[in-house]
Amino acid sequence: MIIADLFQTLIWIVLAGLAIGSGVAMVVQRNPLYAAISLIGVFISFAGFYLLLGAPFIAAVQVIVYAGAIMVLVVFVIMLLNVEEEVRKPLRLKFLIPAAIFGAAILFAQAAFIIYSVGASPVRVPNADAANSQIGLTKSIGTGLFTDYLLPFEITSILILMAIVGAITLARRPTVLLLVEEDYDGKKHVERRTLKIDNI
Amino acid sequence: MLINPIFALQALPVDVNFASIAPELIVIIAGVLVMLVDAFAAPKQRWLTGGISLAGIVAAGVACVLMWNDAGTGGVVTSSFNGMIVVDQMRLSFTFVFLIVSALTILMSMLWVEREALPAGEFHSLLMFATAGMMLMASGGDLVIIFLGLEVLSIATYVMAGFRRNDLRSNESALKYFILGAFSSAFLLYGIALTYGATSTALEGGTTNIAVIADRIAAGTAIYPQLLFAGAALMIIGFGFKIATAPFHVWTPDVYEGAPTVVTAFMAAGPKAAGFAAFMRVFVFGFPLVATSALSIQVHAAWINALVVLAILTMTIGNTAALVQKNVKRMLAYSSIAHAGYALVGFIAAGVTLDITKQNDAIAGVVFYMLTYAVMNLGAFAIVMLIARGGDRRTELEDYTGIGFKAPALAFALSLFLLSLLGVPLTAGFIGKVVVFRSALDPAVMNDYRNVMTLLVVVGVINTAISAYYYLGLIVVMFFRERTTEWRAPRVPASVAVTLILTLAGVLYLGVFPGKVIDAFRRNAINVSRLR
Repeated sequence: MIIADLFQTLIWIVLAGLAIGSGVAMVVQRNPLYAAISLIGVFISFAGFYLLLGAPFIAAVQVIVYAGAIMVLVVFVIMLLNVEEEVRKPLRLKFLIPAAIFGAAILFAQAAFIIYSVGASPVRVPNADAANSQIGLTKSIGTGLFTDYLLPFEITSILILMAIVGAITLARRPTVLLLVEEDYDGKKHVERRTLKIDNI
Repeated sequence: MLINPIFALQALPVDVNFASIAPELIVIIAGVLVMLVDAFAAPKQRWLTGGISLAGIVAAGVACVLMWNDAGTGGVVTSSFNGMIVVDQMRLSFTFVFLIVSALTILMSMLWVEREALPAGEFHSLLMFATAGMMLMASGGDLVIIFLGLEVLSIATYVMAGFRRNDLRSNESALKYFILGAFSSAFLLYGIALTYGATSTALEGGTTNIAVIADRIAAGTAIYPQLLFAGAALMIIGFGFKIATAPFHVWTPDVYEGAPTVVTAFMAAGPKAAGFAAFMRVFVFGFPLVATSALSIQVHAAWINALVVLAILTMTIGNTAALVQKNVKRMLAYSSIAHAGYALVGFIAAGVTLDITKQNDAIAGVVFYMLTYAVMNLGAFAIVMLIARGGDRRTELEDYTGIGFKAPALAFALSLFLLSLLGVPLTAGFIGKVVVFRSALDPAVMNDYRNVMTLLVVVGVINTAISAYYYLGLIVVMFFRERTTEWRAPRVPASVAVTLILTLAGVLYLGVFPGKVIDAFRRNAINVSRLR
């Protein structure tokens, strides 16, 4: 048992180091593509954390959705925008440095607060025992999704449908048409309008 | 019937009850129908999508009234989908307000989509989905539903704000709203996550069900009480952004000014009311005061004090900033911030009133305030839309110079709406303020908060006096300034005329005979969220 615990701690240290290292690398990299690849490192090490906590399903989703789908999207954007390596130039927005330090301080304070308040609690949650945990298993998530969370699941589908409609509305191929309208001072206003093809 | 043995072993209750979400279902189905019809209809039939949407709203209204009557006789469930949905007076009253806002917005939008040659089907379906989102925010008994409803509403509104794609102001408005809105949603979600963690008990994980949160705080079984404060604070920021309270209001003027006027009217009336519905549901019912629980007393005092500060800031900043505006839409945006502050007073009153009947009265007061604000605000924006002409070009104060006697009907109607926004007796706005301030000064308010509530009412009255300057200022500009340039009155199309008649009738009816509506809002002094 002790050896198993020791081994877990060892894996945890390796993953934590990987996460922090990749995170730092992502911020420091000047080439956007390298930064994106460093981000994959962060995601993968998080998936490792979830496995250690006994949540295999969430770990798998983390790899598939974040390290897979979202990263492909990021890489596509980098490719399509043809982002060049950032050139080092004098920092224009100097106030950002204290702002960043302030934000980081708040995040640290927050993390400390959460760790403190969890530690201050006299009760230990039995679920925290990873070996017997029911949280994050494929079965428990599936059961939850189709019982307690059935309605939220259905509403999410509405949300996605609507997001598709909205995205297409905003991004549709423009067709330009000139509209002429008379204003109240008798002046003619000519405006270029973007129209749906079937409206012309 | 053959039952798969694996599934039969875990016969888990789902508690599906379509009757309890009938209004939401009808509105969503209408939204999908609008998309389908728009795809196949001939391009000329642009009124069709608006017509279907209106029919959907009316059908949802009928369903809402039926549920209302059932709730009166106790013949309806009080919660369904395992506590995800609640059926109570507050939810039904707010749903009623949302349906009115959407119906008036659709009427106003008919002219706009036609004149600007915009895709009507997409606009109306997005509007229907936004309405469904608002209704879910009011009916959610669980933070998950409230968050999803908020997202459905917000995403639809981001798109609608940027609907005029060739207009830079509209683009700016949509982008600003999207980035800041996503930011505030993240705050809300973080707050929900922390609250979930905080309410874990020794035996099971946390909960997002509002009634269970209240139970666990009261019983003292929540094991991470400190996290609860962080969670509540983050949720206050998230909701505070959505209802535009100072200091989370800075997005409002830019977004309201840049968005198409129809969308601005909708944004100021609908999402604000929905934000109040969810905000009150979470805080009044999720973090109530239970005298036997020390944690509950601390949490309650914390959120009440935070809201008191927000309310004072919101009223004061909203009104003083409105004084110096030169653009009518911007001025109405700051006025909308100020009105959120007045409504917050009623919200706080609901929080510090322990007597359940009186608390329901206070909640009904806030709903009534939202109704009056929606009616007068939509009316005012309908006229602003007409005067602004195509492309919203004429929204500066100087565009209103001397139009009073050239378009008397429009100018008088706008003046009435402005007087109502100011709160002159015999208009809806006056009764709204009276109802809200009365619940704040009610003897049922807890002793500790008597002075604070009096202070809030005093600040509210002083601010009303300040607001007279800019509301009356616009009336003066319209009637008592000479216009040097030529100006012709805009044509009033039938759909906008109907909107104006309805809103005018609403302002006068609610101002002269408010009793019936207020009584309807508070008829059942039972709140399910309290029963558990």
